[in-house]
Amino acid sequence: MSLLNTIASRSPWLYRINAGSCNGCDVELATTACIPRYDVERLGCQYCGSPKHADIVLITGPLTMKVKEKVLRVFQEIPEPKVTVAIGICPISGGVFRDSYAIAGPMDSYLPIDVNVPGCPPRPQAIIEGIAMAIDIWRQRIQEPA
Amino acid sequence: MINSFLAPLMIVPLGIAALIFGLFLKGVDRIVIARMQRRIGPPLLQPFFDIIKLMRKQTLVPEGAPRRLFLALPAVGVGSMLIAVTLIPIAGVYQPSAGLGDLLVLLYLLTVPAVVLMLAGSCSGSVYGAVGFSREMALVLAYEGPLLMALASVALKVGLAQGGWVSFSLSEIVAYQQQHGAFLFDPWMWPVLAAYVLFMPANLGIPPFDIPEAESEVLEGPILEYSGPALALFHLMSALKTLVVVGLAITLFFPNGPAGFAGVLVFLVKCLVITFLCKTLLRALVGRMRIDQAFWFYLKWPELLGVVGLIGVLAQA
Amino acid sequence: MNFLKVLFRNLRQGPSTDPFPFGETFTPEALRGRIAFDASRCSVCRMCEHVCAGGAIRFEETPQGVEFILWHNTCTFCGLCEHYCVPKAIHLTNDWHLAHKQEDKYRMIEEGTMYFKSCVACSSAFLPPSDALLDKVYPTPAAIDPAMSELCPDCRRARAAAQQTTPGMAQIHEPGLTLRPLRLNHNEKRHD
Repeated sequence: MSLLNTIASRSPWLYRINAGSCNGCDVELATTACIPRYDVERLGCQYCGSPKHADIVLITGPLTMKVKEKVLRVFQEIPEPKVTVAIGICPISGGVFRDSYAIAGPMDSYLPIDVNVPGCPPRPQAIIEGIAMAIDIWRQRIQEPA
Repeated sequence: MINSFLAPLMIVPLGIAALIFGLFLKGVDRIVIARMQRRIGPPLLQPFFDIIKLMRKQTLVPEGAPRRLFLALPAVGVGSMLIAVTLIPIAGVYQPSAGLGDLLVLLYLLTVPAVVLMLAGSCSGSVYGAVGFSREMALVLAYEGPLLMALASVALKVGLAQGGWVSFSLSEIVAYQQQHGAFLFDPWMWPVLAAYVLFMPANLGIPPFDIPEAESEVLEGPILEYSGPALALFHLMSALKTLVVVGLAITLFFPNGPAGFAGVLVFLVKCLVITFLCKTLLRALVGRMRIDQAFWFYLKWPELLGVVGLIGVLAQA
Repeated sequence: MNFLKVLFRNLRQGPSTDPFPFGETFTPEALRGRIAFDASRCSVCRMCEHVCAGGAIRFEETPQGVEFILWHNTCTFCGLCEHYCVPKAIHLTNDWHLAHKQEDKYRMIEEGTMYFKSCVACSSAFLPPSDALLDKVYPTPAAIDPAMSELCPDCRRARAAAQQTTPGMAQIHEPGLTLRPLRLNHNEKRHD
């Protein structure tokens, strides 16, 4: 069983949620995935189009009031076990929008976050470092009995 | 030569071998396209890791979906493709049973995955699934024409040459080509070859015609509500379908090869070459078409090529 | 047929992938990364707090001195603090390895304390200007007035007034201006 678990942990699929981000971090995520210089496929990752196929969730953006309900709903659709990575400073603390009336608060008041990658936006190498940390956590989670 | 009455029992070992080789083809495709794009790419066994990982996750069934139909569809798809795999002959090594090894049976079996995808899209209870369902239906309507023309041309050619009318038996098609030379080198059959090669991307879900599973447009289309083992079965179905369609291309146009173990190796090498030319190279070069562009394209050029090929075959007789 | 030329060129040149995380990667020298704070250079002008885009910098009064706290998880790495700091006490290094687990979220901090000094004349606590600031302000080290580091601002004002020749200024000698209640901004709390 543990051999199957080790094998299963070599294929984490990524899914992006944009919770009201300025798209700076999303551009860096697209850079990390699509250009040949920073290739996430080496780690076995693949960007999937549907939340139901996801293992590692990458969240960007402060949780704006307008999109809060929808983000929470999409997050529920992602099957367990999953690992959540907050990319950029906006989901971690609100970033530059911290005291704004349009922000529902830092992301970890609503969703369980596992890894934080600060930066505005973080470097693609920093994002890959965060994803590698998330893969380690996911490897432990998938080996726990369901 | 494997005795044909044992053929129905061959489904288990052949099926397992086909699954392994189908996933291996998928892995080779991903690595080659990565190297063509100057990336490193995933490890070769990545599709196997994906399937094993999907088996370990939970399957969520949406509320509006009929549960038994939802979960039965991928199983039906994989089952039909497993049967279809046992029908592909390897010249000099393996012949399918005389009753089942028929072009028409293979044609019907090839439509089952398309219908499964359509039903999966419509019964998933989500808007994106419904859009995927309608696009898949339009595409299937479009590409069935060229496929039928291509298969009819080959069947007619073999049948007429043997004095009858049509011959749909796969073993007879292989035997004819082993005697008279492969259709790949026959200029009269080149329009038919072109029609079949143009039909392949739409069936296998390769850009420019991978419209139903367009990732960024409809969130992966019909299969978007599937997760866990059901999704793994869909991926297996797609890997097996690739093998069946490529194997059918080899059977129809270039089945000649040595007997024995070398014949199996030659078959595998031919699969790799066809996958590289028609899947990887095409995928790396072009973007995606719109559904209406793809629909009209299929109604024009591949259909025309198929008709020209059919007329050519009839004229030769 | 240009794609064939591109294809063969790509296959010949091989992958151009950056080897991170399996190898070293290129870090530019001027990359704006983790903040490094040198408390010995800071004079608590609080300009960095004022210009900080993400509100990451905070100064807190303690009985021993003033504490500088910067939280990296709100820092935009814009570099305005470094730009506006006169004695260059705050500096952005090129360390970008900042990814951390959720439990370390509130430990991503850069701190420093600037200690109060006691005035030789009136024994009240004051923050002396740092050596770096004095080096910047005065043309040569010999020209630095030693009273800047010994007398509190009130006593310096009193001394300057005493050196004036205006009659009546000798009466203005009020030590302990710093003993008046401080005007704190809304982020601060008193620590006594």
